[in-house]
Amino acid sequence: MRASREFVLAALAGLTLASCSRAPQRTAEVVAETVRSVPLDPSDKAWAQAPEHLARLVPQDLVEPRLMKPTTPEVLVRALADGANIAFRLEWADEQPDNRPGAGRMVDACAIQIPLRREKDLPEPQMGGEGKPVQVTYWRADWQASVDGRGDAIRDLYPNAAVDHYPFEAKPLESDPAAREEMAKRYAPARALGNIRSGPRKAPVEPLIAAGPGTLTPAPWQGEDAKGLYAKGRWQVVIRRKIPADLRPGERTAVAFAVWQGSMNEAGARKMRTGWIGLLWRASQ
Amino acid sequence: MARVYNWQIGREMSYWYPESRPRRQFAAVFDTNKCIACQTCTLACKTTWTSGKGQEYMLWNNVETKPYGSYPLAYDVKLLELLGGQEWEGARYAGRTIFESAPAGERVLGWRPNESDYAYPNTGEDDCAGQIDRGAAMALPHMSWFFYLARICNHCTYPACLAACPRGSIYKRPEDGIVLVDQGRCRGYQECVRGCPYKKVFYNPMTGTSEKCIACYPKIEQGIQPQCFVNCIGKIRLAGWISTPDKARPDNPIDYLVHIRKIALPLFPQFGLEPNVYYIPPVHVPDSFNRQLFGPRARQAVEAYRNAKNDPDLAGLLCLFGSTEMLVARFRREGETVVGSDEKGAPLVRVPLKEPVFVRPAFDPRTQLVRINCP
Repeated sequence: MRASREFVLAALAGLTLASCSRAPQRTAEVVAETVRSVPLDPSDKAWAQAPEHLARLVPQDLVEPRLMKPTTPEVLVRALADGANIAFRLEWADEQPDNRPGAGRMVDACAIQIPLRREKDLPEPQMGGEGKPVQVTYWRADWQASVDGRGDAIRDLYPNAAVDHYPFEAKPLESDPAAREEMAKRYAPARALGNIRSGPRKAPVEPLIAAGPGTLTPAPWQGEDAKGLYAKGRWQVVIRRKIPADLRPGERTAVAFAVWQGSMNEAGARKMRTGWIGLLWRASQ
Repeated sequence: MARVYNWQIGREMSYWYPESRPRRQFAAVFDTNKCIACQTCTLACKTTWTSGKGQEYMLWNNVETKPYGSYPLAYDVKLLELLGGQEWEGARYAGRTIFESAPAGERVLGWRPNESDYAYPNTGEDDCAGQIDRGAAMALPHMSWFFYLARICNHCTYPACLAACPRGSIYKRPEDGIVLVDQGRCRGYQECVRGCPYKKVFYNPMTGTSEKCIACYPKIEQGIQPQCFVNCIGKIRLAGWISTPDKARPDNPIDYLVHIRKIALPLFPQFGLEPNVYYIPPVHVPDSFNRQLFGPRARQAVEAYRNAKNDPDLAGLLCLFGSTEMLVARFRREGETVVGSDEKGAPLVRVPLKEPVFVRPAFDPRTQLVRINCP
């Protein structure tokens, strides 16, 4: 019953499945099937109808600091699009989930990258280049934990931490939340400056723009969202963003992916990445 | 990599960016012989700057007992081991700096502490370098030794944290050479933590950014010395401005101690960062140890310091340590008094070379009472 329903759904989406097999269709590029509404949940059944692209990852070994030894070998990618949004479901093997930040502790993460403009000459696959920017949407496991309910206190990261006193929790400030917050910011300069990476957050994802290595800059938030689940030694992460403004159904652009394994001390430039991969937005039939 | 000149190692060296010295460079001299490890500096810094969430473990200023103390754990010996044995040829360093020995794919030779390495902030406190045999503590000179090493960010001329950051989130202020992490730009990769050999950049897990000593720049901008300087009850610290050796001024306190009398030395000059906190080495420590920490001039520095009692200019300047809250840019001795001034020469403080002695008799004839000393 389930297999036949999948078949119907797949046929509706215009797939040419050779049989009723549950193995997804493998495509040489990332194909975003059109659906009514893209799901955010990686376990949503809608993903079953999306063809799968196996993206091989290579170490970032072009700019220092480089990743000298390969870690995550590949990431499985599926994509779905609706009239407004496109979502990518990334799945990769990782022996342990790393979602607790700390001194010397890195966290798991992944990102998608799309050229800002559809042009014949693609930007450099590694963060774009001058005059040829790329858009990056970046998900992190610690932000996911925060969105999933982890608190904003040191004991949420270190349950046995002993804290004597924070000046902003002094008695005289108890009745004045504004003064309290103002004082707390004095001891959290990144938050005071509005660094969007540094506070409690509503979405585990961050939109960015880059024009070459080292130029990554936060971009205006346009409803980007994500959801990551870890189970059975694998991360499954859906990253949802707006469809590129100059992409129409039936047209192609390019996409690239990156994966960071916290337990392998990967962060920033130390990452596994792909080159550009074709991204087709397949029109609904 | 660019070629830059590092006067502390007496030669050119490789660095990630070209030489770009600030208009003036914040610098400090710490007299290790006067430090009693009371940690008042540590607390002054802690309460001023790192009392927030995620900063609990941070000590932008710390005081460790050498030879065994270190914070974070083994920050110094781990890097020395990675670097391997190196040689000085006189005052010229013939070995390789951490920039010149960067492995393939790295900007500097470094390592990143684990979170547990920060769990023992005062490990080795008051531990002697060797065993104390029965009765040895009563004999002089003591054959075992330890000393206190107070540490802040060195606001290096060639910061490894700055070189290691792939995003250019760390900058050196052109107006005073203070090295800062841009808290709006930092993305918390911890490359700076890995790169800094002194481990004076700390990752804040609550803000997701790395933070470090800011040399109390809001105070420096007002002409006032930083918190850890003015709160030092041992008066071991003096903040000011350092020139390059060719432009050294005899009336500049830092220049005088570092360049002219050469009694204040950088910490681990062999790493190649040209750090700007200078230490008067401990006089009671074996030269081999001083040499590893402070370079080949350690023995002469100790000799000059020991002779300070016969050297009124030097003794006078040492009396200026901890004598005023203000930054002392100039000094001069007037007989038995030393005068500290600002950059325009306006006097800030006058200190006698020898404090007058007051004798208070035990019996007070006015009140017909015997004074006692206990509280």
